[in-house]
Amino acid sequence: MTGQNPSSPGQKKSTTATKIAPGTYPTFATADAMRLSRVLRDPETTTKAARVIADKADELRMAVLAHVGRLEEAARISDIGAVFEQAHEIRGLAGNAGLAATGRIANGLCKYIDVIDRAGCKPERSVVVLHLEAIARAAHAEDEATRLGDTVADELALLVEKRLSEINVSATGKAGEFIAP
Amino acid sequence: MSGAAFDHLKVLIVEDNVHMRALLRTLLMALDIKNVFEADNGANAFAILRDMSPDLILTDLTMKPVDGIAFTREVRLSKQSPNPYVPIVMITGHTERHRVEMARDAGVTEFLAKPITAQNLFLRLAEIVERPRSYVRCNGYFGPDRRRRAEETYKGPWRRHDDQSDLEFR
Repeated sequence: MTGQNPSSPGQKKSTTATKIAPGTYPTFATADAMRLSRVLRDPETTTKAARVIADKADELRMAVLAHVGRLEEAARISDIGAVFEQAHEIRGLAGNAGLAATGRIANGLCKYIDVIDRAGCKPERSVVVLHLEAIARAAHAEDEATRLGDTVADELALLVEKRLSEINVSATGKAGEFIAP
Repeated sequence: MSGAAFDHLKVLIVEDNVHMRALLRTLLMALDIKNVFEADNGANAFAILRDMSPDLILTDLTMKPVDGIAFTREVRLSKQSPNPYVPIVMITGHTERHRVEMARDAGVTEFLAKPITAQNLFLRLAEIVERPRSYVRCNGYFGPDRRRRAEETYKGPWRRHDDQSDLEFR
């Protein structure tokens, strides 16, 4: 190392790393692994399991509605931490409850609060309230998986992007990056 | 479905939401996995881990008092951990990149974003079963090799002493 960047392309940096290969640590027994692999790759199993998830939709929808109530209460007392927690629960459950638009809107609210918080700013009440109202309406709608629900989710996503672009997110590094679900 | 149930396979679900726990249990039952244990946070999960030594862990990220990241670190690094190599699938609604990277750096094997689909969960499990990853121990990290794919065109930066040489496995 003669004054060069130790991590420049083509150059080795001396870090001691021990690599432990499969087979030298406990893994699934071969017979189990083969059987499990067959079952996991069996389209019939996947179809059966997908039906199981679909059968739970009504139960999960009730759970989402309970979280919507807690979300509204958290907003009423201006507890932004609790707002995030409830929105997070909703985005986790809504997709499996057949409430895709609700999940997207809740995800947008989580994204907004997360990035704002990491930037050391306070969330705008109007942005939070707009999301809250949209989540409540979508979750209570008979058929929220309509173009209207998606349109609202799209519009709110644009609003979040606009608001986040107005704050200095450069200090938060990759805070604004999200992976695709 | 073919063959008998996986009588001796044990799976631990760590999830604070009772509905999601039930959903995951039902999905495992669809695979004929009957020995399923449940915990609502990382602290309770670690006690079950010591007693039951599961073959696979499905964990949420956000839980109190011990979240999925801290639990994963405990599994990988604690002297009390019965199997630091146990595969861990983190299933979470968090899609923020920094949280995904935290999970990876804690030592999770696979990451799955909610909503759960049978197809996505089974693909992750198949990956674990069919292509078990090498583990890496280095300063501050023990867990599955975070370099999942060998990129032939990659020119660096090189960070390991054995980079660009024949890897020595023990």
